[in-house]
Amino acid sequence: MKKMMSRFWHTLSITSGAIIGLGIASVAAAAEDVLPALEYDLTGARLLKVNSSQLFESTNGGDSWQAIPLPEAVRTGQLVVAPAAAEQTLYIAGPSIGVQRSDDNGDSWYRVDEGLPSRNVIAFSAHRHQVETLYAKIADDGIYQSDDAGESWRKKDSGPVQPVRRLVHSDMEGSMQTGWLYAVSDDAVRLSMDCFCGWRPTGELDADTVYDVAYEFDEPERVYVATDRGLWVSDNGGKAWLRIEGDAPELVAITLAPEGTLYGLDRVGELVRSNDQGRNWRAIPDA
Amino acid sequence: MRNRGVLVTTWLLLSTAGQAMADDAPLSHDASQPIEGEQIYQQHCASCHGIDGEGMPNWQRPNAMGELPAPPHGPEGHTWKHSDAMLYRMVSEGWRDPWNETERLTMPAFEDVLTPAEIRSVINYLKTLWTPEQQRHQAEESEGASFPMQSE
Repeated sequence: MKKMMSRFWHTLSITSGAIIGLGIASVAAAAEDVLPALEYDLTGARLLKVNSSQLFESTNGGDSWQAIPLPEAVRTGQLVVAPAAAEQTLYIAGPSIGVQRSDDNGDSWYRVDEGLPSRNVIAFSAHRHQVETLYAKIADDGIYQSDDAGESWRKKDSGPVQPVRRLVHSDMEGSMQTGWLYAVSDDAVRLSMDCFCGWRPTGELDADTVYDVAYEFDEPERVYVATDRGLWVSDNGGKAWLRIEGDAPELVAITLAPEGTLYGLDRVGELVRSNDQGRNWRAIPDA
Repeated sequence: MRNRGVLVTTWLLLSTAGQAMADDAPLSHDASQPIEGEQIYQQHCASCHGIDGEGMPNWQRPNAMGELPAPPHGPEGHTWKHSDAMLYRMVSEGWRDPWNETERLTMPAFEDVLTPAEIRSVINYLKTLWTPEQQRHQAEESEGASFPMQSE
């Protein structure tokens, strides 16, 4: 099983009242196996993709992509510089750069991780509705929360014992507080209320490696998880999973757009789309 | 006994003790009578959460009915992570875990059993079970999220 990320990126798009998490690539420490990441930005009505340490956006369902500049610290000779166009705020996080924010769609970035004990951020999420609430998982430490858009951070939990590759905040009902956090590790998806009352395993997955989790915006109890043995779906927040019998390639990143359109990336960052809840998939070649 | 029964008994067992301090009970940051709170706890809470706040065995895993056993209230639990406002709401209104397959509340509501002052008192007793660091954390969590005004 892969060890936790040695490099991982995560971006978030924020707009008036809503924050959309962008999963950034997760990586196996030893092999430098950077996985691409994918997120749907509800406010900007766009897909955000991280692949090969570059950030891209697509406003036409993946038919074409535009690069968004990343901070200097992550431009290790692999990243593309592109003009910023939108007003959305983005966050990017990773072990090499901590957490950085851009208010001009990548034109400029600034640090918002001074309150963290380390920049070794291996997972990152934003609250589904609270614009200034962020969650950062620090390797070998725990989960820190900011309620002021990164100005200050406070340790809230040690997190699951297992290394976490992905954090996703959900507004599914039933929490004592404001929502839930999914934590994806190689072996399972775990769930905690966002008051951190303890991590519970979600339903059993017949898989060796779990890659990503995503939920429907309008029906957060419907959750999808991508594994090395295919795609699974739950209609109860992950309490039980059902394998989707379909023609999907092995997806390492998934996200959902409104109306339940599923998008996925394979290991090399090729985009696929499903309009029937993951049963049939269509490749969308890069333009 | 079914879990709810246990929980209800535990919590219900607590109710009478703090009646006297109902209207002028202090807020969380004052001395809110941990002794009375302990009496209330032993009467209403201990049967589920344990005499010493140790919780039920395997409290971190849902049982066959999807119900979470009563958690401990000491340093090993998570009570200390919650603000006064949330703890008050939990005791008063109860809470139902969404994965609970029964019709029961996971945590029973005590608003018809305990007075507001008694609820505050028992919460203040729980604070004595935490480490100083946990107490500080919980105090910070309670900034801007203190006991509800109507409980005063």
